Amino acid sequence: MTMLPIFEVQNVCFDYEQIPALRGLSLTIGRGQSVALLGANGSGKSTLLRLLDALCFPSRGSISFCSEPLTTEQLRSDEFALPFRRRVALVCQNPDVQLFNPTVFDEVAFGPLQMGWLSAEVVARVEETMHLMGIAHLRDRAPYRLSGGEKKRVALASVIVLDPDVLLLDEPTAMLDPRSQSQLIDLIQSWKSSSKTVITATHQLEIVEDIADRVFVLEQGSVVAAGSPQEILSDGDLLLHANLVHAHRHTHGTMTHSHPHLHSHARHEH
Amino acid sequence: MHIPDGYLSPSTCAALYAGAALGWYGGLQRIKRTLATRMIPLISVFAAFSFVLMMFNLPLPGGTTGHALGVTIASIVLGPAGSILAISIAIAIQALFFGDGGITTLGANCFNMAIVGSLVAYATYRIVAAGAEITSRRRLLAAGLAGYVATNAAAFLAAVEFGIQPMLFRDASGVPQYAPYALGVAIPAMMIGHLAIAGVAEGIIAAGLVAYLQAADPALLQSTSGLAPGATAACQPSMRHPQRRWWIAIALLLLLTPLGVLTAGTAWGEWSASSFSSAEGRARIAAASQNRPAPPVAPTGLQRLSSLWTSPVPAYAPPVLKSTSFGYFLSGMFGVGLVIMLSLALQAYLQHRRGAGQPG
Amino acid sequence: MSRNRAIAATLVSLTRALGRALISERVARQRGLLQALDPRVRVIGLFALVLAVTLSDRISVIVALFCAAVVVALLSKVSLASLAARVWLPVLFFTGVIALPALVLTPGEPILAPTGGSFPVTAQGMSAALLLIARVETAVTLTTLLILCTPWMQVLQALRAFHVPQDVVVMLAMTHRYIFLLAETAGQMFESRQSRTVGVFDGATRRRMTARTAGVLLSKSVELSNEVFLSMQSRGFRGDVRVLSSFRMRSRDYIGLVAFLVAGGVAVWIGRS
Repeated sequence: MTMLPIFEVQNVCFDYEQIPALRGLSLTIGRGQSVALLGANGSGKSTLLRLLDALCFPSRGSISFCSEPLTTEQLRSDEFALPFRRRVALVCQNPDVQLFNPTVFDEVAFGPLQMGWLSAEVVARVEETMHLMGIAHLRDRAPYRLSGGEKKRVALASVIVLDPDVLLLDEPTAMLDPRSQSQLIDLIQSWKSSSKTVITATHQLEIVEDIADRVFVLEQGSVVAAGSPQEILSDGDLLLHANLVHAHRHTHGTMTHSHPHLHSHARHEH
Repeated sequence: MHIPDGYLSPSTCAALYAGAALGWYGGLQRIKRTLATRMIPLISVFAAFSFVLMMFNLPLPGGTTGHALGVTIASIVLGPAGSILAISIAIAIQALFFGDGGITTLGANCFNMAIVGSLVAYATYRIVAAGAEITSRRRLLAAGLAGYVATNAAAFLAAVEFGIQPMLFRDASGVPQYAPYALGVAIPAMMIGHLAIAGVAEGIIAAGLVAYLQAADPALLQSTSGLAPGATAACQPSMRHPQRRWWIAIALLLLLTPLGVLTAGTAWGEWSASSFSSAEGRARIAAASQNRPAPPVAPTGLQRLSSLWTSPVPAYAPPVLKSTSFGYFLSGMFGVGLVIMLSLALQAYLQHRRGAGQPG
Repeated sequence: MSRNRAIAATLVSLTRALGRALISERVARQRGLLQALDPRVRVIGLFALVLAVTLSDRISVIVALFCAAVVVALLSKVSLASLAARVWLPVLFFTGVIALPALVLTPGEPILAPTGGSFPVTAQGMSAALLLIARVETAVTLTTLLILCTPWMQVLQALRAFHVPQDVVVMLAMTHRYIFLLAETAGQMFESRQSRTVGVFDGATRRRMTARTAGVLLSKSVELSNEVFLSMQSRGFRGDVRVLSSFRMRSRDYIGLVAFLVAGGVAVWIGRS
């Protein structure tokens, strides 16, 4: 299967105040692929997403987007930066960080306004997006008055209003109730089918098959495995080692034993 | 210390708005020169932090409680320019959204607390800490002292602004039109509460926060430390190229404002000396400094006031007061202006010593 | 002071702050006189009246302005009971306490001698106290009306219309937004401290603990600001925030503006001594 690379990450290192977060990480992501970055907390998933969004830059190694290197200098020019910011969107784990405008309408309108769109177009697109995400009734609401699920929807709306080509999602299902979670998964699947590139960082194994065609497993700042969801999810030892599953004693009917498993809607059978 | 509407005459308000505007303008210019884009969320969140900090009830030595402003820690972490903006924003939101504090007196409040407060806090901190290691105890002392001095400087200014009202703004029959207490009453009244309580609260919080940062995040103390930056300074806004011109302008304005305000008012020499012979002890207390229209804060202020009300009143009116109330006032303004000048000189000296060797 | 009183008092302040916002939203949604006017007119108009209050020297004029404020409040569906509880009584209490000594401290002709001659209440003192109270009551009523009837967003937009620099307006907006987050966080920290601590601590320990809570809040604040900065950049922020402008004046706005300015002007004219 030929694949145009959209992101090429080569041997990237990144430190947070002398604490290494990424050590020699390399991977390639193809245009239109849906990718899951699997890893426990602290494995470097969030850091990688930030680097992919050119919010930070690696101390060693390189990242390129559509063959253009992502460097501080590159991002300084409006010519490169503005189209890049439109095409690549990041949804953070903590929506409070992403909702910094006074009302929901302002929040969704922020991106388009920074892009320099005309007022009329901004208003039109914002209304359209709010209806799409089912938040039109919240337009004048302040962020501190929203529930967790509503915040997530506003955060999503604020990035998809720009119609990005690449979506970087950091633990998108965290703290969502089951219905919101399934709505989100539907959304991701609709992006998949419209050939957007979707990169999701998560540690929730049960959603991986639904949202990704390819999986990278991260452990302590580098990629330890790559493959299809089926390949990765069936490799129990790998998952255990990467701290993605646990192996405590549990009960099936009258039998009690312990082996690597995860708690998902599909209870495993023996 | 927040002055509500109605206590200051329009001309006083206007003069202080002008002074505040200068401070705001200078602060904004300064911010634009350094890492401007990063400062927007930083100042905003710091303003929010200061606002929330103002609500903390701090237990103080002696059993009282007080409230801190946060201006000291803002100056220490953000530098004076950032602090000016952050505290001004906190004060503005208090007035414009929560209705605490006046709108005509917004300029005065910002001038006293945000501008003079920040500059005095910063100057004191730098002078006392001078070159000490970031994690040294001397910095705790510097921060505590800076908080104490800055709070009292701001309170003193407020007291002076109150105190000149009856001198300058009375009608033909001698009725004070605005704040009715002359300097001789206003200054002790304001200063007692701040020397004993509010200043201590601010000092304790400033020192406490610096101690916390020394352990948890020393990089935040780097930019105002006056020390050559290490590797951790990479992401902090730097304090290169101080804009001396606007600092000098502020200092000059402080020195000249008293004259400006005076010329707007009526002749002051007519004030009779006998006015000062009445009781000095009954003082308007720093209940004014916590002027929130809400019961939970009232009891402490009321208790203080009522205890003073019943205490024996000293017949206290030193001769020097009667003829030099103007001197008090002038010296206050000049004093603050001098502190600014001093800090400018200090900065110039430190710059000179360090040479042009700041990296980045 | 009992070990928990300071914490409780802090919690009260924090929750009050959070509650204020909700009250404002409710009133702002009513369909009344002030709400119908352009926010800029509201800001200019009410500010002009507050200025008139500070410029007038006659208490009769100030009282007249107060009555006007009450009428406007009624027409704007603001409950007088809530105004009384929120503004009139507290201001009366505080300003009254502050003004009380002026009765005897202000030099002038004595009119009363409640303590037998040594501290007479003077006519000037009485006038000064009443004048101060009247001024503060009226001014605070007017600003409270403005605040109650105008959602924060509109206040900010009005400020922009008055050429307050964009950066400042952005910072005001962001600060306001994050006050609630930090107040909530601080509240949670204090609540958990309240429920976890048993026994009495001495002053120094309590101070240290409070400073510690403040410190954690500070760290979170700085971290938050960094994250927000990245978030803004991610959506295209390059240094100057661009916003939508939206106000348009209608005829009723002009009428309202003129009414406010005339009222203020008349008050100043009559009130000058």
